[in-house]
Amino acid sequence: MNPIIRFDQVSVQVREKVILSNISFALFTGEKAVLCGKSGSGKSSVLRTFIGLHAVARGGVYFQQMPLTPVSVHAIRSATAYIGQEPVLGAERVRDALLLPFQFKSHRNHRPSDVRLIEVLNRLHLTADILHQKSSRISGGEKQRIALARGLLLGKSLYLLDEITSALDADSKQAVFDVFSDPRLTVLSVAHDSDWLARCDRIFELEAGRLVQVGHYGNT
Amino acid sequence: METLDIEMPRMALLYALCLLPWLLLRALGLLLSRDIGISVLRMSVQLALVGFYLKWLFDLNNPWFNGLWILMMLLVADFSILRRAGLKVRYFALTTFTAIAFSIVFSTAFLVVLVIQPAHYYDARYIVPLAGMILGNCLQGNVIALERFYSVLRKNENEYATFLMLGATRQEAVQMYFRDAIKAAINPTIAGMATMGLVSLPGMMTGQILGGSEPWVAVKYQIAIMICIFTSTTLATIINLKLSLNSAFNAFDVLRDEVIDKQS
Repeated sequence: MNPIIRFDQVSVQVREKVILSNISFALFTGEKAVLCGKSGSGKSSVLRTFIGLHAVARGGVYFQQMPLTPVSVHAIRSATAYIGQEPVLGAERVRDALLLPFQFKSHRNHRPSDVRLIEVLNRLHLTADILHQKSSRISGGEKQRIALARGLLLGKSLYLLDEITSALDADSKQAVFDVFSDPRLTVLSVAHDSDWLARCDRIFELEAGRLVQVGHYGNT
Repeated sequence: METLDIEMPRMALLYALCLLPWLLLRALGLLLSRDIGISVLRMSVQLALVGFYLKWLFDLNNPWFNGLWILMMLLVADFSILRRAGLKVRYFALTTFTAIAFSIVFSTAFLVVLVIQPAHYYDARYIVPLAGMILGNCLQGNVIALERFYSVLRKNENEYATFLMLGATRQEAVQMYFRDAIKAAINPTIAGMATMGLVSLPGMMTGQILGGSEPWVAVKYQIAIMICIFTSTTLATIINLKLSLNSAFNAFDVLRDEVIDKQS
């Protein structure tokens, strides 16, 4: 089986500062992995490098054996959902935020029905009432789940999650775990939360831009 | 009717008027003597040089020299726009020059050749001041458009990346910032047209009336120049922003850090 994500001796420099050094790992379809390490160790940079937001100085990044290039980056981005600590919803109302991607040419013909919207919201323990709320009025945890819902509506299979569990309460966290129990979905996350770590298949530990350890919860 | 000349002793009297604001500012504790002195001196020297040059240019009235003068104005405007917008000249000099040159040549030619129709379309008395006025206003618009677009984009880097991740092309992802920047750039011209004659008498019209023109002729010239300023500002800002995108982003559609001038 080919890995869905592969980093092969990747080094990244931003403004002449090395932020990732010689990183190599592979992640297979359905795996849930977490990147750990101190602040500034390069965890978020791994996620951002995979979607082409940081230029690779040395080595290669691969998505399903396809190298990251200016051409392949579009395919990578369309298969991947990237959700940060403070996700940008990009519209005044929640409903418009959920439908935002369907305004773009690439998704224009796949606009979901209201039934589908509510179904996805319910999966994330959100009710239909939230659709009419202002994006600025909802909590951080709700924003993250709306961003996740958007990924699910787009049928994304790979999720890059940057510290999303910090804003989630126990119930919402359970909803997110349930969604990602789907073996078709692959997750590469940044987290410190022990519940999250315990549910991940693999833990990558970073230190000053280097991958220092790979293991499972309890043995890292 | 001839415009009354201002003789040297009366010019000296005029410079003496500067002492009034200088004294008032000094009384307020604003020690701006050096800045005021340099500004008044620069203005006088620069305008005197332009005066000599324009007199020579008008007497010569050669299409090549007129064109050369406009080319020089465009080059100065090009560098000035980029410096004031906080962008590196080496990445955007060509795109900004293309945008302003096209819009200035287009609107000045439209005005002179189709509307005013002087005996010689290259007449320095028409094309030099008209192109200069249009360019001066166009410059402001381009500074606002570029500065607004790139500063808002940098501030909203995460939002832009989110749009890309949601399937937007670069063009779709920047559209909101693009519209906002164009609107900010042309708003002063639109507002200026709406209040023209009510809030202030426009400079060109005042100049023509002082120069002996009939008020109606001056009014028509003012309307013509405002429409050309509006047209060229809109054209130049749209072309400039569109062309700048190719230099500003890398192949992965990420804004290049090195195109921003950190010192400005």
